[in-house]
Amino acid sequence: MRQIIAVSIAAASLIILADRSQAADRDGGAQLAALCASCHRPDAGDRGIPTILGMGPEMFTRAMLAYRSSERPSHIMHAVALSLSDEEIATVARYLAAPNK
Amino acid sequence: MKPRTRREFGCLTGAMALAALGPRLAASEAKARVVVVGGGIGGATVAKYLAASARMIEVTLVEPKPHYTTCFFSNLYLAGLRSFESLKHGYETLGRRYSVNVIHDSVAAIDPAGKTVELKSGPKLPYDRVVVAPGIAFKYDALAGYDEAATEVIPHAWNAGPQTKLLRQQLESMEDGGVFVLVAPPNPFRCPPAPYERASLVACYFKQHKPRAKILILDAKDNFNSQDLFLDAWERHYRGMIEWLPAQFTGGIKAIDVRERSVKTASETFKAAVANVIPPQMAGQFAQQIGLADQSGWCPVDPTTFESKLQPGIHVVGDATSAGDMPKSAFVANSQAKACAFAIAASLTGSARLASHLFNSCFTFLAPDDAVSNAISFEPVAGTIKIAHSFVSKVEESAETRRRAAREAEGWYDAFTHDTFG
Repeated sequence: MRQIIAVSIAAASLIILADRSQAADRDGGAQLAALCASCHRPDAGDRGIPTILGMGPEMFTRAMLAYRSSERPSHIMHAVALSLSDEEIATVARYLAAPNK
Repeated sequence: MKPRTRREFGCLTGAMALAALGPRLAASEAKARVVVVGGGIGGATVAKYLAASARMIEVTLVEPKPHYTTCFFSNLYLAGLRSFESLKHGYETLGRRYSVNVIHDSVAAIDPAGKTVELKSGPKLPYDRVVVAPGIAFKYDALAGYDEAATEVIPHAWNAGPQTKLLRQQLESMEDGGVFVLVAPPNPFRCPPAPYERASLVACYFKQHKPRAKILILDAKDNFNSQDLFLDAWERHYRGMIEWLPAQFTGGIKAIDVRERSVKTASETFKAAVANVIPPQMAGQFAQQIGLADQSGWCPVDPTTFESKLQPGIHVVGDATSAGDMPKSAFVANSQAKACAFAIAASLTGSARLASHLFNSCFTFLAPDDAVSNAISFEPVAGTIKIAHSFVSKVEESAETRRRAAREAEGWYDAFTHDTFG
């Protein structure tokens, strides 16, 4: 019985944590995506600088890693990709792919 | 549900006590209030991102002018490559889409104890946080013979607006064979490559319309931003047209004679057909008036929250700041403004707070289809802001790379002004 209670408490706190971390993930995603918006129009305008809306998380992550290694050349994207951690890249990838931001 | 901060809780208690007065008043009382003073790139970006990221914050932006005219890309207008109208941006979208309360007025004073911003027209706006984005002011006393009245004859055109138009008119009516004298300021100043971009693009205009005209740059410095890129471009595009004289050659700029339209240096006096004097600079007048600037003339700030180091509770963003290695550019103002907005939102509403990411990126035109770019990332280190990574264009880049940068620059302007003004 004690074990069951312990498990339920653990499960409940996991749900709370997940809930909280989801909100934090969305906040974090929004703040990181704000960096992108200095150059990429979020309403899908595309004049000289490609749009990043609708990019799948995998494609986005692959592109960022290519900029980080200079496999794809760009001053600004190289600086951005070096500044963001792997986890931050994953966060912004999820945020850009999520509906109803 | 996010944990409530003490301030939010306090506001809610206030709201409950006022509930009898009517639901509308109660609702407005529940919101934290941020007043942003100045609607340039830094101010407009803070207002937009605060309003967009936290519905619990009521944002008021105070700016006397109905439009903002961007200084960046105004050199393209001087060369006849862009319309003046295309540089102008209004505040309507900030109001309509983001519910920013835009007030076209000037600020008379800030009362940090009473937490109010007093408008010139009388009303006092209560605030929980205030952000000041005053831009730059000019040190007229540092250049003998040059003052605000002189700008009507010899414009600086370093805040885009009527002076930018005046300079364009003067360049258009200048006779072929005339000398355009540009006086470049000492560090630090707004947009380090811009005086030299201006010389490049005016040369581009002369090459087509006044091929015998010359450009003389009288510099207060001995070297300048991206010097190798500019010198290479001047040789390729405008051979024999642009002459740059460093301070060590002239002995420094001593005085401006507005009537003679001449610039006196320690060694020689140079007469101009058209002159453009870009004076030494400091933080905007309002920052000086309320004690946000130190002896350097600029405003020291906390490297993560952009709260003033001299006046707690007041944040400063943009060109007016003294922010370690960060140059004074529109991109930096926008980047600082976002970091500041998220820091304020976190402290007022308890929203998540991430590590700061601060960037600068600039496109500079050497000719209409020859642009260069740079990109810098910054990080807060020991109370100041240091460069983490820096990348700049190289002299040996291909013509295709430069053409692509020029195309990207146009796209960047469109996205960046959209990011700032909605």
